[in-house]
Amino acid sequence: MNVQEYISSGIVEGYVLGLVSDEERNEFEKLCLQYPELLQARTAFELALEKQAMENALSPSADLKDRIFTEINAGGKILPMHTAPVRNLNWLKYAAAACFILLAGSLYWNISLYNKNKSLKSNYDNTVARLNDMEKDIQVLQQNPSVKMASMKGLDVSPQSYATVYWDTTSHDVYLLTNNLPIPASDKQYQLWAIFNGKPVDLGVFDIKKERLLIQAHNAQGAEAFAITLEKKGGSPTPEGTMYVMGKL
Amino acid sequence: MISKTTYSEQELVALLQQRNEKAFGYLYDNYSGALYGIVNSIVTDKEIANDVLQNVFVNIWRKIESYDPSKGRLFTWMLNIARNASIDEIRSKGFRDAQKNQSLGENVDIPGSVTGPVFDDVGLKKVLTKLKTELRILIDMSYFQGFTHEEISRALDIPLGTVKTRIRSALIQLRTMIQ
Repeated sequence: MNVQEYISSGIVEGYVLGLVSDEERNEFEKLCLQYPELLQARTAFELALEKQAMENALSPSADLKDRIFTEINAGGKILPMHTAPVRNLNWLKYAAAACFILLAGSLYWNISLYNKNKSLKSNYDNTVARLNDMEKDIQVLQQNPSVKMASMKGLDVSPQSYATVYWDTTSHDVYLLTNNLPIPASDKQYQLWAIFNGKPVDLGVFDIKKERLLIQAHNAQGAEAFAITLEKKGGSPTPEGTMYVMGKL
Repeated sequence: MISKTTYSEQELVALLQQRNEKAFGYLYDNYSGALYGIVNSIVTDKEIANDVLQNVFVNIWRKIESYDPSKGRLFTWMLNIARNASIDEIRSKGFRDAQKNQSLGENVDIPGSVTGPVFDDVGLKKVLTKLKTELRILIDMSYFQGFTHEEISRALDIPLGTVKTRIRSALIQLRTMIQ
């Protein structure tokens, strides 16, 4: 090719000013490596352009330099570009590890939430069943006009204790509602007594852990009061242990 | 205080690539005026031109690794960043909207401006005034407004081949005018 012709075709100026197509630019860059005179012509035009631009310089705002330095110090130094590829790989590794940990954590969390949910659901079902039973019992008691109620207040040994006795005057059945009694030691049981003329009559032992809080007893006709004592397991013929609650009818 | 130190272009590039702020300060002191002249010839609003120049220098600082000395001088590289940033700005929606409002205002104040804009040419644009109008328009559209040859061909209804030939011819004349 005729280099001089190429040089004077306007390609040099077009290349320097950024007015050529990608194809023309690639060709020009290749030829520059091949022809020193082309490179020389390019440098000459670049220097002329630079000189022309310097002669026509205008002053930007006085504070612009500070603004630029503030901006580059705010973010420019954090990620120098030559280290970026290495950092990117590390970053990806850590990101992948972090994702895995997050995923594992999320799975574990889901499983434990699922289990928790399941146990809550079963507790809830049990509670609903118990509540239904109690409601049925209470309905029986409330709809029956012959039922009397006696609240049994906690005595000195356990002032928070509280129980309720429902007493059917016609059938003579007794229902005990253990609202609040401390859980006894494993070798002890609560025992319910009916008091006739100041003498206690055994109405049986009961476990407060039973699903149904309402306990049915018989033969309480003419009772003037009820009491609960804590006795040895299986009960005693006459009250020996501590009295927890007592209520007069 | 302006530093007395001078750097060769090679030293300057090496220091900039090491993120040397003193070298960057030197670069700003020596070239901000020339680059602002170019930005100002494309973006005429002074406030916006300053914002563009700020972006230009921040980009020079951040992208100095991509500068390849085998493809041209540092100033040429910076000049192209400045030109591209300026053209991006005038082509942005925000800028065009602002200009629309401004020109409405100007039309009220200066009715004569409708018939022909008043040019206050400096720098390269001043050089362009020496070109024949038909060539000048082509350089103005391609260099200062960033239109592709195809866009100019369509806009002026001139065959694409003619656009290319005329731009080449304008560039040849430009060289002799600058030197």
